[in-house]
Amino acid sequence: MNPYGMRPGIILLREGTDTSQGKAQLISNINACQAISDAIRTTLGPRGMDKLISSGRSVTISNDGATIMKLLEIEHPAAKTLVDISMSQDAEVGDGTTTVVLLAVEILKQMKPFVEEGVHPQILMRSIRDASMLAVKKVEELKVTFDKDSDQFKDMLLKTASTALNSKLISSHQDLFAPMIVDAVSSLDGSLEDLRGMIAIKKIPGGDVRQSFLVKGGVAFKKTFSYAGFEQMTKSFKNPKILLLNVELELKNEKDNAEVRIENPEEYQSIVEAEWQVIYDKLDACVDCGANIVLSKLPIGDLATQYFADRGLFCAGRVEEGDMRRVAKATGAAVQTSTNGIYEGVLGTCAEFEEKRMGDETFNVFTGCPCSQTSTMVLRGGTEQFIAESERSVHDSLMVVKRSLMSRSVVAGGGAVEMEVARHLREHALTIEGKGQLIVNAFAKALEIVPRQLCENAGFDPNDILSALRRKHAQDEDGKWFGVDIENGDMMDTFEAGVWEPSDNKSNSFASAAEAANVILSIDETVINPRSQDPGAATGMMGAPQGGMGQKPLSNMMGGAMDAVNAAKGGSRSGNLGNGVSYLKGRGGG
Amino acid sequence: MAQSMAYNASAGLSGMLKKGHQSFSGLTDATLRNVEACREISTVTRTSLGPNGMNKLVVNHLGRIIVTSDCCAIVKELEIEHPAAKMLQMAAEAQDFECGDGTNLVVSFAGELLSQTEDLFRMGLHPADVVSGYSSAGEKLLEFLEEMTSEVEGVADGRMKEQLERAIRPVLAAKQLGSEDVLAPLVAEACLGTMSSGGKAAVNVESVRVAKILGGNIHQSHVVHGFVALRGVEMTLTSCENAKIAVFSCGIEASATEAKGTVLMKNAEDLKSYNKSEEKKMEEVIKSIADSGVKVIVSGGSVSEMALHFIERYGMLCLKIGSKWELRRLCVATGSTALVRMGAPTPDEMGWCDDVKQIEVGGKPVTVFNQKDDSGKSKLSTIVLRASTSSVLADLERAIDDGVHAANTACKDGRLVPGAGATEMELSLKIIAFADTCPGLDQYAIRAFGKALEVVPRTLAENAGLDQGSVLAALGAAHASGKKSAGIDIDAMGVATATGIKDETNVLDLYATKSTAFRLAIDAALTVLRVDQIIMSKQAGGGRNAAMDPMAGM
Repeated sequence: MNPYGMRPGIILLREGTDTSQGKAQLISNINACQAISDAIRTTLGPRGMDKLISSGRSVTISNDGATIMKLLEIEHPAAKTLVDISMSQDAEVGDGTTTVVLLAVEILKQMKPFVEEGVHPQILMRSIRDASMLAVKKVEELKVTFDKDSDQFKDMLLKTASTALNSKLISSHQDLFAPMIVDAVSSLDGSLEDLRGMIAIKKIPGGDVRQSFLVKGGVAFKKTFSYAGFEQMTKSFKNPKILLLNVELELKNEKDNAEVRIENPEEYQSIVEAEWQVIYDKLDACVDCGANIVLSKLPIGDLATQYFADRGLFCAGRVEEGDMRRVAKATGAAVQTSTNGIYEGVLGTCAEFEEKRMGDETFNVFTGCPCSQTSTMVLRGGTEQFIAESERSVHDSLMVVKRSLMSRSVVAGGGAVEMEVARHLREHALTIEGKGQLIVNAFAKALEIVPRQLCENAGFDPNDILSALRRKHAQDEDGKWFGVDIENGDMMDTFEAGVWEPSDNKSNSFASAAEAANVILSIDETVINPRSQDPGAATGMMGAPQGGMGQKPLSNMMGGAMDAVNAAKGGSRSGNLGNGVSYLKGRGGG
Repeated sequence: MAQSMAYNASAGLSGMLKKGHQSFSGLTDATLRNVEACREISTVTRTSLGPNGMNKLVVNHLGRIIVTSDCCAIVKELEIEHPAAKMLQMAAEAQDFECGDGTNLVVSFAGELLSQTEDLFRMGLHPADVVSGYSSAGEKLLEFLEEMTSEVEGVADGRMKEQLERAIRPVLAAKQLGSEDVLAPLVAEACLGTMSSGGKAAVNVESVRVAKILGGNIHQSHVVHGFVALRGVEMTLTSCENAKIAVFSCGIEASATEAKGTVLMKNAEDLKSYNKSEEKKMEEVIKSIADSGVKVIVSGGSVSEMALHFIERYGMLCLKIGSKWELRRLCVATGSTALVRMGAPTPDEMGWCDDVKQIEVGGKPVTVFNQKDDSGKSKLSTIVLRASTSSVLADLERAIDDGVHAANTACKDGRLVPGAGATEMELSLKIIAFADTCPGLDQYAIRAFGKALEVVPRTLAENAGLDQGSVLAALGAAHASGKKSAGIDIDAMGVATATGIKDETNVLDLYATKSTAFRLAIDAALTVLRVDQIIMSKQAGGGRNAAMDPMAGM
């Protein structure tokens, strides 16, 4: 190796730096990604199962890909790319977060034999890029667009909402939730920008799922902490004037750095009175402006509550910031940080205000708001985890409806669009000269993971259904919307069956998955520098005998190194899938 | 280590220096070791050369993950310890600073120059012969390179979008193959947007910014003629047109005294009016700002709730920007002056923006300050980048940086040379021909220099998955028959029947970038070759030292 004699090797990089390169490195990165997808693949589709993840004290049960990926705390540097695409799919589309990871990993898996055979990764990447562009274009061709004013439009929204809910925990209640979700989104009057801010999802543990409800075009929040005098207050108004404050209505020291010094004992009483006067002035200002309802972000004390009750006003203190913003948006009121200079213009109004009892909770409900760009959804359910998962499901579905509203076009789900795109790619592949042909074919095969996994999760034999589907798509002109029939273990026209997904969802998944696969394929060397604050890692690396590394949580960040060692010991994929947990921080499995 | 010390250090020297030092001298111990280290580093980066270069995944000491094929970023993050290899790193950094692009050419070429010397030394050449041969070859190289500029038409006018794109596209293609058709127009548009209307076309590298937003794909990226802040406004109002802008580098809140002060109140009246007076003061300030016509207030610090209340009441927008750098960029984009005290700005100090609005991108609110097209008002452009993974985003940003640098260079010196290894191949042939005319021993060094130039076409072919031997032979034949701009055809990869070369390559490189890269590479190589002794004193830090012996090894 070294022509100049017996000198030891040259150290180029810092002590403890771990490098691995070449084919083995690439294969080990792909294996790490496969371990991740094995962890989440069973959650796909209506028959997908949930994952229970316990982190510290909190327990999460979910089948939302993005949530699981986030909670897994993946340490492997290459596999982190998968977390990224899952997150960006979540931000961009909201749903399809599992699909995108599955697709990316399946593309990699299909490419693995090529890598092992020594095909240059650049050739793979170029073909994957071309194939993904073709796939996105095909989705554009396939999509069915609806006119915004047509009757089917609302129907389309309903169908996309229920399709999104289908794969979730609350799928059996989609008849309840789907209309609620569509109503909530359409109540926003087209201003879809701040969906998370404008549609509040309130979780109230207890009761039954079917007691969940929507306050359309209005705001509802749980009764805040109340002081004495609350019972006497008027609890329902028609067309009330609403004042929103960011002021504490309580007797208190005005400023920390102020001090009163009096020379004359007689003056003491006047100081006390002045303090009372200050708060009375504030309360008077609130009453005088003609408001019927006073809400404040800060506490409203005993005195003020009593004072308002005497004058027929309703008040609530310590209202949450988000609720406050929604009330402001809905009623047209402006939040005031001072009680001075309140005028008519800053007051808001609504058709009806009411304090309602629902189940065992009391709610303040504002309905018939003039500006109405907000809705509140109240979710009920047995356990905290159940409601938390319901919330995620509803949120995904909301995002999907928003997407459909914006793009106005859908494709059929249930693996139909993937099958059709795969067929198109296969046809196209025949026209390609050179290795690209095989790679595009492999890409097409990778797309079939979606129907395949759907079958697998539903307990059917994927090979039977897949071959039938392939045949249908290849032979029948009208067969383009045929996907997996989860109920009967057969195929069906999923478009007809109302399994609709926004076309953006699919095109985004295809593009992101291909991008992530390309990132991983493009890496030909992994260099891990020792962490600067963590000298233990470096010495641990140095001292640990090769075999013992797997047990140490610290060395997990050296996932690549471990893999390289594994690969060197024999067989390129020895044990990687089995101990996939070692890519994650020490939890789960054990 | 003790053994190697006893072997290496002469008694005289070790007697003079503090205990624990190391010294290496002579051809085998110093020069060849340095050469070897440099060759190592260039083998690491070489696979990243060109459009088909592979990426490296580097996890740096803070745990950040970097996936890139940008040579400068790689060598910077590698934390190189070896002193000679560090010289290549510094040369790459200098190239990055000067031209942005071509950093890999520096490291690969310098590495190749040095590895060629191993054979020369074995033949018995003295390093001095090699140095003199390399330097005369270097001078010739730059001469020949300038001649090459007549082969292709250069960038005549930096204001023409097509011409600018011609210079930017190959740079972007080398970093982000497949995205250059999307990125090149964006970069060109962003650069053109910041050019002042009079005088020679010029691009300030600082004036094109990148706002990275996770999600979507690269086709959704676009240019904003102005500034993009990655946070929303503080108000219920979210958009404003034709706005005057006041920028405060301070917080907008009631001023507190630095020294500890206590307000002493003597009687009840004081107590009642205390709070009111503070409110009144704030209202006065905000009102005076509103009266001056300002519609948008930007603060570099915190904005008190009381201030927000009045800003809301007077119908203005308010945005907080935490970073001082960002604030300064906003000032440049809108032409405003940052005020250090609260109060109404003078007309000079106010900025102007045609359109300010908060929009949602990828689930996050961002505030966009957009000047209408071709108004020439904005001296800053922002490219809003979209991609679905953060490592791709970061790599795209680096590519865009290089693209802007290229635009900058193209405006200064628009001469172009053929790329795709064509220039290097032609130069290689010329240098080898030149070697034959030299009488002395340095003839061998010059020939080796010419040979080293082949590293570019060879690596391009190798990275594209082509058979490098046959491609290089075909390329050499093409050049010998007078096709001066024949280059590697990377599109041929994966197609068995293709020859792998193109007679007229459409890839063009900037002359300035290339000549700087060659000069830096030659300088770095010569510096390394001139070293004949390395003396390292004992590193401070005690125990770590034993393991940190960079020369002796594990």
